[in-house]
Amino acid sequence: MRPEVERELVRKCKAGDARFFEPLVRAYEQPGLRVALGMMGNAEDARDALQEAFVKTFRALGRFDLGRSFGPWFFQILRNQCRDLLRSRQARFKVETLDEGLELRSSGDQEGTDRLTSRHEAQALLWRGLEKIGEEHREIIVLKELQGFRYSEIASILEIPEGTVASRLYHARRALKDALLELGIEYP
Amino acid sequence: MDPQSIQPDELMRFLDGEVSPEERNRIEAALAGSTELQREFALFRSMKDDLLNIQFEPELRRAAIWDRVNRHLTRPIGWILLLIGGVVWVAYAAYLFFTSPADLIEKLATGAMVIGILLLLASVIWEQYRSWLTDPYRDLQR
Repeated sequence: MRPEVERELVRKCKAGDARFFEPLVRAYEQPGLRVALGMMGNAEDARDALQEAFVKTFRALGRFDLGRSFGPWFFQILRNQCRDLLRSRQARFKVETLDEGLELRSSGDQEGTDRLTSRHEAQALLWRGLEKIGEEHREIIVLKELQGFRYSEIASILEIPEGTVASRLYHARRALKDALLELGIEYP
Repeated sequence: MDPQSIQPDELMRFLDGEVSPEERNRIEAALAGSTELQREFALFRSMKDDLLNIQFEPELRRAAIWDRVNRHLTRPIGWILLLIGGVVWVAYAAYLFFTSPADLIEKLATGAMVIGILLLLASVIWEQYRSWLTDPYRDLQR
């Protein structure tokens, strides 16, 4: 969606017309679900978090500064919603993704395929690795690797200085490497 | 180039393509001169590739999210309007009731019927609401 179209939709939503919120929901539901799934670990909780994040976003639009970009602001709300949901349900990140219609993207990377003998095995092991690392490590890996945000966007979503993103990613990746090592995957 | 001069966060920014051309040249030079740094970089590179390769496309019931969001956004407005309308009608009916020239017995009989109907209605709604709360299949699409 073009930024000017997005800004216009947000402006109309700010005026209270929920009809103009639908295209925004359509535009952000797929990446939003990917992020929520990465943070929650299962599709049902991810959908709940995503739905609630959209509702909160609409209700908070009155305070939204049109000079800002909508995307990072929405993902910030979604991230907070995922954290709140995990805490309020006393839940923990649960990996229940394999039967949820998640489709692995074909990699074409023979080396990676050799190391992790099958795609499903690769997914299962990496998800289990993500399960083992802490919430803070997991969320930054999800934002970077699963959603592909740039450092400036991650900084905005996590409300941290841009310079901190790289060091957090370093610690998160090391934690994931250690977790995968415990699961029997050794990187060179 | 002293590989020790490359900080972990610089290595991350290099890995993620977030460095300037000058920084890239400096880090590439450091990598070329240190097998230890090369090994560390290869580790992160491999892990990043594996994470990218398992990216998934969550299957989304496309209508579901918007429908659920829309319900949350529009229903409260509907309830508020219904409540306001109900209050106005009840107030108007009470005004007519008390100011009408009908006999007291007629007023009492009518009042009893109206209160009875409202109590029954409230009881049915409450029962339905309670069974909905405990229904384990309430989120299933019918």
